[in-house]
Amino acid sequence: MSGGGANGEAAVGSDGPRQKGKATPDTLKVGCIAWVIKDGEPRRAEILSIKETKSGRQFYCNFDNFNKRLDEWVPVARIDFEKDVEWPNPDKDKQKENKSKKSSSVPKKSQPSKKAQKKVAVSKREQSVASEEQTPHPWTEFVESQTPKTAGAGEDLDSKVNASLEIGGTPGVGPDEMELDEDEIPADAAKKQREERAPSFSREDEIEKLRTSGSMTQNPAEISRIRNISKVEFGRHVLFPWYFSPYPEAFSQEDQIFICEFCLSYYGDLKSFVRHRNKCTLQHPPGNEIYRDDFVSFFEIDGRRQRTWCRNLCLLSKMFLDHKTLYYDVDPFLFYVMTTRDDRGCHLIGYFSKEKESTDGYNVACILTLPQYQRKGYGRLLIQFSYELSKIEGKLGSPEKPLSDLGLLSYRQYWSENIVDYLLTFSEKEEKCTIEGIASYLAMTTQDVEHTLQALRMQVYHKGEHKIVIPDKLIKQREKSKLKQKRLIDADRIQWKPPVFTASSRTWGW
Amino acid sequence: MATRKVRYKKLSVKTPLPVLREDQIDPSEYESLTNEGHIATGVESAEENEYHLQGILRGAGVAADKEIPVPPPQESSLSYDDLYSQKASQTCTYIRFSQTVEECIGCMYDMTEEDEAFLKSYNLKRAPSAQLSDDDFEKIMEVFEDTAYVRAPFAAVDQTIVSYDEMLHGLHELDKSKVMPHAKDIYEHWKTRRQAVGNRPLHAMLKFEMHQESDDMDPYVCFRRREVRQTRKTRARDVQSADKLKRLRKELEEGRQLVLASHNRELLKAEMLKIDRAIFEQRAQLKEHKIRLGIKTDDEDLINQKPQKRKAPEAPSVQRPPPPSHIRVPVRPNGQPTEADLTLLADKLAEKENELRVDIEKKVQNHSDWNRNHVDLTRGPLSPVHGPRPDLSFRPAKTQYLMTPPASASSEPEEPTPMDLDKPQNPQPVFKFRGVAQDHKMENPPLYRRRIGRLNRLWIDRRGLPSPPSPPRESADGSADVFDRASDRWKYDNSSDDEEDAPILIRPFR
Repeated sequence: MSGGGANGEAAVGSDGPRQKGKATPDTLKVGCIAWVIKDGEPRRAEILSIKETKSGRQFYCNFDNFNKRLDEWVPVARIDFEKDVEWPNPDKDKQKENKSKKSSSVPKKSQPSKKAQKKVAVSKREQSVASEEQTPHPWTEFVESQTPKTAGAGEDLDSKVNASLEIGGTPGVGPDEMELDEDEIPADAAKKQREERAPSFSREDEIEKLRTSGSMTQNPAEISRIRNISKVEFGRHVLFPWYFSPYPEAFSQEDQIFICEFCLSYYGDLKSFVRHRNKCTLQHPPGNEIYRDDFVSFFEIDGRRQRTWCRNLCLLSKMFLDHKTLYYDVDPFLFYVMTTRDDRGCHLIGYFSKEKESTDGYNVACILTLPQYQRKGYGRLLIQFSYELSKIEGKLGSPEKPLSDLGLLSYRQYWSENIVDYLLTFSEKEEKCTIEGIASYLAMTTQDVEHTLQALRMQVYHKGEHKIVIPDKLIKQREKSKLKQKRLIDADRIQWKPPVFTASSRTWGW
Repeated sequence: MATRKVRYKKLSVKTPLPVLREDQIDPSEYESLTNEGHIATGVESAEENEYHLQGILRGAGVAADKEIPVPPPQESSLSYDDLYSQKASQTCTYIRFSQTVEECIGCMYDMTEEDEAFLKSYNLKRAPSAQLSDDDFEKIMEVFEDTAYVRAPFAAVDQTIVSYDEMLHGLHELDKSKVMPHAKDIYEHWKTRRQAVGNRPLHAMLKFEMHQESDDMDPYVCFRRREVRQTRKTRARDVQSADKLKRLRKELEEGRQLVLASHNRELLKAEMLKIDRAIFEQRAQLKEHKIRLGIKTDDEDLINQKPQKRKAPEAPSVQRPPPPSHIRVPVRPNGQPTEADLTLLADKLAEKENELRVDIEKKVQNHSDWNRNHVDLTRGPLSPVHGPRPDLSFRPAKTQYLMTPPASASSEPEEPTPMDLDKPQNPQPVFKFRGVAQDHKMENPPLYRRRIGRLNRLWIDRRGLPSPPSPPRESADGSADVFDRASDRWKYDNSSDDEEDAPILIRPFR
């Protein structure tokens, strides 16, 4: 599957064959797929919205296989009308409706016992890592393999979808089997998984997941797909949001919004913002400082006690995190906020949130370095800090899935560097090490360790024995990055005890 | 995908793995051995194939030069120094902070540009002394907004406009002289602004849940409340709750007793004051008569003779509340002033009723006193011997002059609770001297030793104290022993009212 890259399968508009034909700027409508110039190259792009501006009509384009953060408004001039445009399928919406209807009825139908239901939920969670195997629109296969698009075929299709949904609803594949799958993975198994699991990811399931697990991530299909805020004044910087964030609806009419750097309050009006700044006395995140070195500080903030601030933080970070959800309130989370200090106070660099009690053993729910501080090594510090806290707690931790692309890269880098460093000490002494040993040394889950070893091609099966091989290029790269003198968290400076929550606080919503 | 010829043994996380460098293994073999299977990335399936991410992932974590493009942030053109003019002071310890955002901001209404224009023209018509400041304007607007929110939370739907009269209550809490002359005019301005935005709050608000149905798909609705988790009702939990209620009830009853007792005490006190006053007045009369009649005796009958003796029998009998037969908490002989104030106030309301009750209570208590005026504070009648006994020989007492009484002196005098007495405690004896040291006629300094007697009482035995120059007084046992008197002097030197019940008892030795 790793081959499905740059020009691999199309992610945009892959829900079946579409009618093609020529279009004009006037006939082009929302849902069409056209060829649009992006960075000098023509790319397939789905039109998500159309607006009239003084300079003419503009189209909001989502480019095929590009992250949503690169979506943009393009003028007519950038659209290639020479090429055929793919028109939206008229019954696409109907399908979607059916899907959600069916899936809502499924949990009711298959309610054998509470225990079984729980099992479903659990296995679903465990699948979350594996479920990446899915293609975005899993029902494609039925469409492609069996049904030409005719009106009559609609019903047939529905029943199929329904059937596959019920498969998805049963406790299915356990975690043990899963591991096996990964060893011998192959396309067949992947396909099987795809068929089984994909459809179970409905809105209802998702909300159920949010309710029970306190997750902060969200199914991409349901997020409003168009960015609502174009420009944000924040401290010394102007930020250009990447994704939709549920700030007040009126703000989508503003050219820019203003966010107070300390209390994170938001204003659409400059005068209001200036007046606010006259009154706001906050100069650091409103919580207790739990770490300080000469470079950064960390603050711990309880979502329940600092509801306004944490909500503001979530709104801000939602502009840069695609899979974050603000569906539910911030009460069950703690926020660990990293700042730099200067003579004006402690400036927000980034943060991670953490469930007060994670049933899945996650030590991070959402993690973000603000764009103006990205690529400066702060993400590593955040990640390291999250693992330092796990070490103090005496637990193995892992970030909640799904990760974003940037999140995956940051985590992989952190994991690989630390694992390589640790393994080198073993290879020098010519000792053996276990995956469990690595995991407990770094407070990582064993799955994450295995994942990293595999991703870096370090785990081999040779002469009837599993072995770990450290590739030369990794060693070289590590030596190079060590020369850069990266900053690290000094665990001795952490003044923190794992907060304790009583059963009653759990019962009464934290 | 290469087909596998060998089937691996399953890799357990506990298997010790040899760690090799790449050069320690045959390179051609290594190529074919590395696992090429798909690795779970933890990224959402729809995004896994994204162009930029795949570009980096294919480098297997060693492509540090490639980056995922993001919309770049910019420097702000607003003047940071004007907006964030407040200087922050560095603390030397980690910051601890619990104020909320609202508490840090103060007035929650921020003037908009529209308000500013209005206020400018409004102030133009007025003399400089009668103008309305920005701050006061905001305070008034805040009152209007808050009152409107409380009185008409659904104003946007039902279009109720809160009348000016209803606003008055809130306005009265502001500085009236500054605000009231303007309030009516500002109200009109507020009203027009409210109507312009469809009678919604003037500040843009987040969308919270309103109707379950319509909200679910609205991306702007955020921060819903989570359902409270159902607690399972079990017999054990019922018993627990019942116990809790019983205990609560008992404690409330005890509290009531305490209130009654202290009320009684205050009544007695008042009575004593009355008597004291009567005595004083009688004496004044007596004095007058003496002068008039020319009687010349010593003035002994005009002052309180033998103050010590007088104090001894009187004070306890007046101040001690009824014996603690019903009360678990030990009562302090000198009631705390705050407590006394509170009880007086509270009881005035029910004075008549209480007087009756006190009478009955007293009789009941007298009776129960008979039966149990002996309260055993220890768990075992005999206190255990603690380890090696403290050094029994006498040590020279070194005098030290303390600038301020040590902290222990203020916290110590509380009567020990039974729990405290159970614990072995060794309070550090600290000698306090008022004034200058005694003449050093004696060659030997005073000696003392500390020992622990029954019931863990701490005894201080002393010897070799200088004889005081004070006039002889009758001592308890009648002997005119030098040391006896010395010790008595010490006793009164040192004792304030609070310390009378301190567990340090002094007893002549030898």
